[in-house]
Amino acid sequence: MKLSKISEKLSTHFEKGKPLHCFSSLFDAVDSFFLTPKTVTTSGSHVRDAVDMKRIMITVMVALMPALLFGMWNVGYQHFLVTGEGTGFWHCFGYGFLKWLPLAIVTYISGLTIEIIFAQRRGHQVAEGFFVTGFIIPMIMPPDVPLWIVALATAFSVLFAKEVFGGTGYNFLNPALVARAFVFFAYPSVISGDSVWVSGALDAVSGATPLSLALNGSVEQMPSVSEMFVGTIPGSLGETSKIAILLGAIVLLFTQVASWKIMLSVLAGGWITAAAFHLGGLSPLPGWQHLLMGGFLFGAVFMATDPVTAAHTTARKHTYAILVGIRAIVIRGAHKGYPEGMMLAILLMNIFAPLIDYCVVRLTIRRRKVLISRKKIRL
Amino acid sequence: MDYRIREGLDLHLAGVAEREISPLPLSDFCFVKPSDFRWLTPKLTVMPGDSVQVGTPLMVDKNDERVAIVSPVCGKVHEIVRGDRRAIECVSLAVDVSASSEAIVPVESSAAPADIRATLLQYGLWPCLRQRPFSLIPPSTALPKALFVSCFDSAPLAPDFALLMREREADFAEGIRILKCLVGRDVPVHLCFRPDADNAWAELAQNVEIHNFIGPHPAGNVGTQVHRIAPLDKSETIWYIHPFDVARIGRLFSSHCLSFDKIFAATGPACTRPRYFSSVYGTDLSSIFSQSLKEENVRKISGNVLTGSEIDKFPSLRFYDFQLTFLPEETEREFLGWLLPGFNKWSFSHTFTAWMKKRKIFGFNTLQHGDRRNFVMTDIYEKVFPFDAILPLELLKACMTHDLENMEELGLYEVDDEDFALCEVVCPSKMPCQQIIRDGLFELRNA
Repeated sequence: MKLSKISEKLSTHFEKGKPLHCFSSLFDAVDSFFLTPKTVTTSGSHVRDAVDMKRIMITVMVALMPALLFGMWNVGYQHFLVTGEGTGFWHCFGYGFLKWLPLAIVTYISGLTIEIIFAQRRGHQVAEGFFVTGFIIPMIMPPDVPLWIVALATAFSVLFAKEVFGGTGYNFLNPALVARAFVFFAYPSVISGDSVWVSGALDAVSGATPLSLALNGSVEQMPSVSEMFVGTIPGSLGETSKIAILLGAIVLLFTQVASWKIMLSVLAGGWITAAAFHLGGLSPLPGWQHLLMGGFLFGAVFMATDPVTAAHTTARKHTYAILVGIRAIVIRGAHKGYPEGMMLAILLMNIFAPLIDYCVVRLTIRRRKVLISRKKIRL
Repeated sequence: MDYRIREGLDLHLAGVAEREISPLPLSDFCFVKPSDFRWLTPKLTVMPGDSVQVGTPLMVDKNDERVAIVSPVCGKVHEIVRGDRRAIECVSLAVDVSASSEAIVPVESSAAPADIRATLLQYGLWPCLRQRPFSLIPPSTALPKALFVSCFDSAPLAPDFALLMREREADFAEGIRILKCLVGRDVPVHLCFRPDADNAWAELAQNVEIHNFIGPHPAGNVGTQVHRIAPLDKSETIWYIHPFDVARIGRLFSSHCLSFDKIFAATGPACTRPRYFSSVYGTDLSSIFSQSLKEENVRKISGNVLTGSEIDKFPSLRFYDFQLTFLPEETEREFLGWLLPGFNKWSFSHTFTAWMKKRKIFGFNTLQHGDRRNFVMTDIYEKVFPFDAILPLELLKACMTHDLENMEELGLYEVDDEDFALCEVVCPSKMPCQQIIRDGLFELRNA
């Protein structure tokens, strides 16, 4: 029997008034995962673009894959480096994979359960946004973070950063970053930000992160630029390899899923500020080196570009993104307690994005009035 | 003056009409539907069994009784079909096929503006004019700040105006003269062309301002043209009219011949032999449906695939349409379709491999390719929305939140739902943009 026939037969049990109706959102999510929706156009345009949110989200996940795969290997590599056991590629990769898998499972179970309950309560379909959020959360957590903390952080972010506002599309904060911020502030011992995260390492061998080394002036102890670029340094799963992140950026830009304007503006804002700090003697590092450190590039490529929480039109994207870059470096440089400024910078600018939007809407309205009064709109 | 449109999109559908016109004989029935005329509140002036001639009023606008919708053929009123809450859905006419679909009427060709107005109202040609904002039939006493004639259609599979207007050059020029007389010397008449098209048919028109629009659809939409040439303030109105209707008016005044003839293109991926037909407004198209469909499950659309309406009970073209599109209704569901490379899937985004085939002709169908979600890809509309100083997303949000003040300020008066058709096509969240704008316009008008 064809899969579509089976689905059609099963769907009758989930209709309104049937006993399984309370699971209709779950059925719908599973059904549309395997088979493309059968919905046809009923009003307006009769033809539509083949792209839908599933395709957009899977594209982002493909873009995240290089960073994830490298991260898995690197977690194992860093572990065996600290423990002194020499080992091969697959051994490292397997170790990292086993570190990542429980995190991913816990994240998805925790988040999707809430998503499905809310979708069912609202009579909606399950939105695809969490597929990316759930993919990113394990990539920005320390590898050894307790699973219950991940579950709690994910639940908190899905509930309070997204669902209370109406779900994907209505959230004004990036949910993955909210999960990280939750751990950062609620369980600082797990994710303090100034000591390195090496999976399975004892306290004795844990050292300072390159960022805290830089801030403390211990530049000579920092990893080399090439190490930071390739990513063979301790850190969260997704953020260490800049090459892998750039590969992801290429995918996002090639498919036009993310805005190059945001990426470029974050980097420009960050670089200019870091260069200014360097010239002013506030930072021992040259401006460009800041872009290779910590989660700056990961944030610029995958987090700041979130189209829901960023500012919404072209002019605003520049403003928003430049300010993200500036804020990230300012937090890094000015607040020694928060060496990783990117998370806070993006969340802060997420909060300011609606204000930027509001200002630009008012300016556009004013401009429109001026243009109409001149009886001619400039091309 | 030349205007270059950068934001927009041309959809390349299979089924372009061949350049030949086949006459379609008068059908036994003719359907006149009030829903063709937006905002019209119909008040019937005929009863079933009444005899009608070409130009006999069938209904008038309840709010402006000088505006009449007239019979396009000779015959009898067969039936008045009513829908929910007794709204008139259709006046069905039993056509006298032996009689001509043209009528000779007494009209003075060198008339004063007031007489021209009275003549157009009397013979049912006033509804050929439409007014922005709101795309309604202008009130019988109104005057616009400008009159627009878009001399090309940039929509997918749109008819070629050079073919439509063949042998109507003099009528068109006369129609422009009459309309210029009607609106007055101070009101400009703008003709908008695509420079790479054959525009020779419009060359006889005088006292007009010529504009060239270069670029993809919606360059041919009157909304785009108005926005670039004479943007609308909230107290202003413009009129617009199809060149074929201009020629119809010209013919009435030059030859005293009243006719509701129509040349239309039957197009689309599900059409066996796409070509042009000459017919009369309201003609029963069942004979075309029985000959021209490639398969059984086909959607018949009056108009183009972006803004047309599905033909259901009464198989005829809408008053303002010159195109018929046949689109396959697809019901097949694809296994893991969101994961496949998509060599044959059209997408404005670059997430499917098919985007590399730039000018490939795609066999579109009626699948929505996804279900409705909230706004997520927030900047995609601006890539296909060529209105400077109008923010499409914010305007949609203002309409959805019933924020009348913002709707006004953000420029809702200047747009129509057809201007948001491409936004709707490319939207990954499958947002019903045209419906949202239509509802917003309705709310604003009734506020």
